[in-house]
Amino acid sequence: MTNSEHIRDEELELYALGGLPEEEAAALKSHLASCGECAMKLAESRGNAALLSFAAKQEHPAGTIKAELMERIRANREREEHYAWPLPANHQKDAKTQGVTKPGDARLGGWWNWVVVPAALALALVSLGLSWQNRRVSQALEKQRQATQALLHEREEAEKLIRILAAADTVTVKLAAAGETAGSGVVKYNERMGAVVYSAQLPAAPAGKSYQMWLVPVTGSPISGGVLEKGPRSVGAVWLEEVPANTAAKAFAVTVEPAGGSQQPSGAKVLVGAT
Amino acid sequence: MKTTSIGGEATSDWSLLGRIARKDEVAFSALYDRYCGLVFSTAKRILQRTGEAEEILQDVFYQVWCRAERFDRAKGSLAGWLLVAARNRAVSMLRRKANRTGELHEHGVMLGVDMESHAAQELLLDTVRRVMANLPDGQREALECAYFEGMSHSEIARKTGQPLETVKTRIRIAMDTLKKELS
Repeated sequence: MTNSEHIRDEELELYALGGLPEEEAAALKSHLASCGECAMKLAESRGNAALLSFAAKQEHPAGTIKAELMERIRANREREEHYAWPLPANHQKDAKTQGVTKPGDARLGGWWNWVVVPAALALALVSLGLSWQNRRVSQALEKQRQATQALLHEREEAEKLIRILAAADTVTVKLAAAGETAGSGVVKYNERMGAVVYSAQLPAAPAGKSYQMWLVPVTGSPISGGVLEKGPRSVGAVWLEEVPANTAAKAFAVTVEPAGGSQQPSGAKVLVGAT
Repeated sequence: MKTTSIGGEATSDWSLLGRIARKDEVAFSALYDRYCGLVFSTAKRILQRTGEAEEILQDVFYQVWCRAERFDRAKGSLAGWLLVAARNRAVSMLRRKANRTGELHEHGVMLGVDMESHAAQELLLDTVRRVMANLPDGQREALECAYFEGMSHSEIARKTGQPLETVKTRIRIAMDTLKKELS
């Protein structure tokens, strides 16, 4: 294709899916930058490709995700409003120059100013007090909202854990020490849900290292089941991790990896257990 | 998922977007309800992980909130953009994990179909699933690898053991079939 020729529809379809080799994609990109007609056709191709999303199993996100998002946009709006609050410099200047009170102007109002000025001051003080009170109430409400969301999230996690443990097709795999490190563990695995629940008793990981759980599938490379980090969910506690659903597992293993975990197991096995 | 109705009246995507540009939370909530399932399901299908799919879902909609005034109606469909944005971000995340690179664009998405109502979405679900189910295995596999796994055609060729041109042809024929069914 030269830069003056239009791109064929078939090529646009392939480009829209994003799978063309880099050199081919670069040639099309160069043409698209200057050809409105092809750019329009590409937009249509992207639309056609997007409909493949309907082939995905339709699932609904947890309600807490929307609550978190609404909280995030609310914070964004408040931040914008906060920064937008100070009046522009020219507005402040105008307010000063257009103000009605000038030296000596008090005479114009006569006795009326003795009533209006203290009343205005009193009103300003009341407004200030109300504004302060309003701010405190808003802060308290915000804290309550965050606490509620945290509770909802905890409840969802707990419910998920119960569902996994109670499912008839959840299997139990006992992990035993594989090397010199003494330890043990238990894995509850639900293949259909793609959920691994486990606990492990191990000494603290060596400095600069982490323990990492692996699902060893019947075919393919090991899949990470998460890092056993220190903290509230540390060794001795329970971990709940997601792995791709419907993955047949032949074993589970815990290895010693660089702190934070690895893409694939690289260190010594400390616990293993076959399904 | 239901057709958004505010004050008893169905509201178009663009009408909601106009209100979101004026920072209307009710309109944002309505748009989210309309498309959150599709966006989430797309990301989840690609990443296979709920947490990461939720992250994509929030990011895509947060971008709508922050940049609503910049969406240009002339450049395409909002629903289409949401799906393409979710797919591209999920694929990029997948590629980063596998140390693969590749630039994906989401500027300008035109949809030839309506998906603003619940009924329209149900119809599309039925049609797309039927088309996918009736595709020959090789075509379906190539299309799924390209769209849901973000694989390049060369990668699909390696995975399936087919010549590169065969992979391209299969994807093209499959996309043609889908377009014909939807037109």
